[in-house]
Amino acid sequence: MALLEVSGLEVRFDTPEGVVKAVNGMDFEVGEGETLAIVGESGAGKSQLVMAIMGLLAENGSASGVALFDGEDLMQMKPRELRGIRGRRIAMIFQDPMTSLNPYLTIEKQMIEVAMHHQGLARDEARAHAVEMLRAVRIPDPEERIRQYPHEYSGGMRQRVMIAIGLLCEPELLIADEPSTALDVTVQAQITELVGRLREQTRMSIILITHDLAAVAEVSDRIIVMYAGQMVETGTVDDIFYRPQHPYTRGLLASVPRLDRVSDDELQAIPGNPPNLLELPSGCPFRDRCSEATEGCRQPPPLWQGEGGRASRCVLPMDGGQIVAAEAVGEDGA
Amino acid sequence: MTRWKPIWVFAVACLAGLAACGDRDSDVGGPISRRPEPVEMVLLEDGQPDRAVLADQQVVRRGNGEEPATLDPHLAIGVPAAHILRDLFEGLTSESADGDVIPGVALRWNISRDARTYTFYLRRDLTWSNGDPLKAEDFVYSLRRAADPATAANAARMLLPILNAREVLAGELPVEELGVSLLDEYSLQITLTGPTPYFLGLLTNPIAYPVNRRNIEEFGEQFSRPGNLVSNGAYVLSDWVPRVEVVLEKNPAFREADRTIVERVHYYPVEDHSTEVKAFRAGEIDWTNEVPNNQFRWLQKNYPDELVVSPWMGSYFLGFNLTREPFIDNPSLRMALVLAIDRQILADKVAQFGEQPSFSLVPPGMDGYVPFVPEYADWTQEERNHEARRLFEQAGYSEERPLRVEIRYNTSENHKKMALAVASMWKQVLGVNTTLVNEEFRVFLQNREQKVVTQVFRAGWVSDYNDPYSFLELFRTGHGRNDYGYSNSTFDALLDEIGTERVRARRERLMFEAERVLMIDNVIVPIYTYVTKRLVSRQLRGWQNNVMDHHQTRHMFKLRLRGDPAAEPAAPEQPDEPVSAEEPPQAAAEEPAPEGEPEGQEP
Amino acid sequence: MKQEGILRHAATRLLGLIPTLLVLITIAFFLIRVAPGGPFDSEKALPPEIRANLDAKYHLDEPLLQQYFRYLGQIISGDFGPSFQYKDWSVNELIAQGFPVSATLGGLAMLLAFVIGSLVGIAAALRQNSAADYSIMGVAMLGISIPNFVVAPLLILGVAVYAGWLPAGGWDWSWQRMVLPVVTLALPVIAYIARLMRGSMIEVLHSNFIRTARAKGLPERVVIRRHALKPAILPVISYMGPATAALITGSVVIERIYSIPGLGSYFVQGALNRDYTLVMGVVVFYGVVIIVLNFIVDLLYAWLNPRIRYDETQ
Repeated sequence: MALLEVSGLEVRFDTPEGVVKAVNGMDFEVGEGETLAIVGESGAGKSQLVMAIMGLLAENGSASGVALFDGEDLMQMKPRELRGIRGRRIAMIFQDPMTSLNPYLTIEKQMIEVAMHHQGLARDEARAHAVEMLRAVRIPDPEERIRQYPHEYSGGMRQRVMIAIGLLCEPELLIADEPSTALDVTVQAQITELVGRLREQTRMSIILITHDLAAVAEVSDRIIVMYAGQMVETGTVDDIFYRPQHPYTRGLLASVPRLDRVSDDELQAIPGNPPNLLELPSGCPFRDRCSEATEGCRQPPPLWQGEGGRASRCVLPMDGGQIVAAEAVGEDGA
Repeated sequence: MTRWKPIWVFAVACLAGLAACGDRDSDVGGPISRRPEPVEMVLLEDGQPDRAVLADQQVVRRGNGEEPATLDPHLAIGVPAAHILRDLFEGLTSESADGDVIPGVALRWNISRDARTYTFYLRRDLTWSNGDPLKAEDFVYSLRRAADPATAANAARMLLPILNAREVLAGELPVEELGVSLLDEYSLQITLTGPTPYFLGLLTNPIAYPVNRRNIEEFGEQFSRPGNLVSNGAYVLSDWVPRVEVVLEKNPAFREADRTIVERVHYYPVEDHSTEVKAFRAGEIDWTNEVPNNQFRWLQKNYPDELVVSPWMGSYFLGFNLTREPFIDNPSLRMALVLAIDRQILADKVAQFGEQPSFSLVPPGMDGYVPFVPEYADWTQEERNHEARRLFEQAGYSEERPLRVEIRYNTSENHKKMALAVASMWKQVLGVNTTLVNEEFRVFLQNREQKVVTQVFRAGWVSDYNDPYSFLELFRTGHGRNDYGYSNSTFDALLDEIGTERVRARRERLMFEAERVLMIDNVIVPIYTYVTKRLVSRQLRGWQNNVMDHHQTRHMFKLRLRGDPAAEPAAPEQPDEPVSAEEPPQAAAEEPAPEGEPEGQEP
Repeated sequence: MKQEGILRHAATRLLGLIPTLLVLITIAFFLIRVAPGGPFDSEKALPPEIRANLDAKYHLDEPLLQQYFRYLGQIISGDFGPSFQYKDWSVNELIAQGFPVSATLGGLAMLLAFVIGSLVGIAAALRQNSAADYSIMGVAMLGISIPNFVVAPLLILGVAVYAGWLPAGGWDWSWQRMVLPVVTLALPVIAYIARLMRGSMIEVLHSNFIRTARAKGLPERVVIRRHALKPAILPVISYMGPATAALITGSVVIERIYSIPGLGSYFVQGALNRDYTLVMGVVVFYGVVIIVLNFIVDLLYAWLNPRIRYDETQ
């Protein structure tokens, strides 16, 4: 059994302008010890997807669907039960380390409260544990630095602290939402390396959310590519990188600098913007930006599934795949 | 959101009320719904009240307007300080409850034939509150101190009738040259520059009170503080917290201490008239200094027995600036404006408190003087308006060439209302376009004095002493408050004559003549004469209305309340039963004093 | 190290107070002298002899500049001089008598407003956009918009005159006489603080570090108390400096309606009576009070906010 099984997850936001359809039916699993990368442009719904799972949506957001964690549906849990899981069994690291730590509290306070709350440790024990964790994420001189405030840390250091906080209770699942995006390039590499090392050293499952395909290549087992709140393609790292099926995935890959390319000339972003989530067009949401779009894309695209969880949502056929969402093309009559 | 308003105002008020709910002093009077009734007053033959009708606690709490400026009787200015000082000190002369001048420290006096020399014979057994004997030399010392330039007494102008006072104040003569001389231990002589019939009245003013030399030499400028102040009146200063209260205790050394009933008097500085009325309604004070001008009808309806309105020696009028256009050398225009207002309406509808419409300067009731009344006072308003229009045209104004004029007043709701009413009458009768200008008090005073920007301005006068001369002298050429720029040699000559005339009837005739000259010259627009208005607890008696509005606490006493448990010490607790108003007024007889028959009571 | 920084900052600020006060004294001195009329003007005109005596006694006969330097000299020795109007008291004594009253009233009102306003604001923020939120904020709007001089007479009528629970006015340092004026003073401030607190709390609750705290699985009350309260209260703290100063110095209307012997009425009476020394004394004293209050709030702010440091680089 997978550690986390998500099916039919939808997230809606009530706004004065209308209902924003942020996530539109997501199904996926995360196995024990597995690292799943969820990749997509900003606004694709990646963050809201995990926020919904964590029960941390904003007040105007609502989620439906099933998210079984160790067999229990997170979506049905009372806030109190959910709090027992958050921070203890599922930890989360956020995109912006500059603002994700409380600027008014010392690192010590922000760390030991987790250990004290979830593990019932005494203050001294919690502190020793926290120092140990800081050391583990390679904060130099942790005994001293733990007494400092976040503004006395650099961005990369803060993210290390965030990771250390996440690891305090040795969670079964770590959700890292763009952990390195806000950092400069060398620091990004360090954080990515740190996540990779953790993945090797612990049996922790990881969901890694990023807009940067390149960043996940070395550290993840499987990749889900999201677009407009939907999965458009999923597969192993090799599948995605070497056998991309969906035009969007290919577009993403084209925008990634790669060692196997000769020059940067070919590096290009996907033209156009993601669709307005207030008024999702019928049919394939990517069709306006897709160089291979046809008339058929006006209909909802079919979902192709293949071996080992490989899947793609496109009118274009998938190698070795079968249409599972037949009704999606049924209307098409093709 | 608007629909919440009344509900929430109420809710907030209730909440605040609930939060505030707690025990309170039991002597705080009840709310208006169950106002206690005093017993019927019973006076004995000597004019003193029967002790059986007196409340156990003879404590009087008086609202007193603003904070008294000082309790140094010589430096004191303003009415609030004077109220307190009259309780603390007694001059050579004093006043009865109804305002008549009566012997004070001086038992008797002689006035010389030329009315310029007063010889005072002091009571012999008087002492200061510190036990020092009170002698004639105290008065010599005090009057000299009051006139001493170093004292810089504001009110020293009232001493100007005394010989050499002006020269002493100007520093031209030493204080020893003041016309006050010691005859012997208990008599002194005061020499005046001219006959001054109101001089005995002047001596009841704080500026003429004695101060204790030893007291001043010991404490210097702080001699008037509680604990320091030595006085010779019915009360002594017990406590003074600025802007909180001045507390006086009965002076056992006072010559009439055995006839002084009120044991303690609190003077509260309450600047806000409506706050004062609320404090009265809540039973926290027995006597208000004032009542708000806009509450007459309400008070008359709800507090008919407590509301006291009485004539006061003051006049409310407007003044013309005679030195500038359009009023310079234009008596017809001034007369037209004087005629064109309906004083009855102004008194009844604008002033509202029973003020008397006035056609002259001096208010009635000043020491027997009958003011000059112009012919048009007997006309109907129609006739006056008719004459006003005629004069207005004669002055060269008409509908086509309307008069534009300014009424200037110091910022105040009442002055504004009055100015508006006058302006609308002028507009209606004469088509005058009037602009109202209000100014802060001292700016206003300065503008009046400079006589440059003023045209018509708010004026008025409340006298310091009971004599019409105090009104007339304002219009003398060169007088410091002659903001009208009035200068009439006939008038000035009359004033000079008044200053030297010692026959009362002749003097009155001269004053009447002077007032006539002034009114014919139309220097002012008389409007009404003042009244005093206040709420007085029905328990508080002994005081009487007088034009001076002087009310010494020593004349007062407090009646017991009906059903007051203090009257029946045997009964522990009286059920709180309201006494109906229909009950026959024999309550005093029905509830004899428990301590037995007081002496002298006639059944 | 941070402590030292704050101390050094405090010393600098206190030194900086001197030129500010000097400017204040100079401007106030000449402004009040420019105002028409003088302290001894009244409807009863003074004979010139007496006027001259008074001017001499209070040095008003000297050239203005000489009076100014005389006054400066006095102030340096801490003496505000004698009051022209209240001749029995020095200005120092009047301030010493009035200020504790004003400070007590203003302080209590601020305390009440801070506690109730914050609680109400937090309550509203936690129930954002609910009926409770709207009614709380509706009342708060009302609290801001109804002026003191309307609330005070209503309270006196209801609580003192009709119910007879509390005295209608006056002052004797008993709690009974403090309740109504404190409540009246506090009401608009409660309302303002509630709105401020609600706004800043809502903003803080949307911040990333609150999301982090929630992601840690902390109970909501811990999230609010430990993580949200301090940052949310900072805007309230910085408002409190000027607000407390305003409460202490600006309660003239309340003092009048409740017959309270505070400093505010001295200021107004002093200005109306051209009581130069009294006005000057109160202005200078207020100046010091306001500067000190703002200074205290700055320190408080720094103490609460670790990102503000007072060191040489600033």
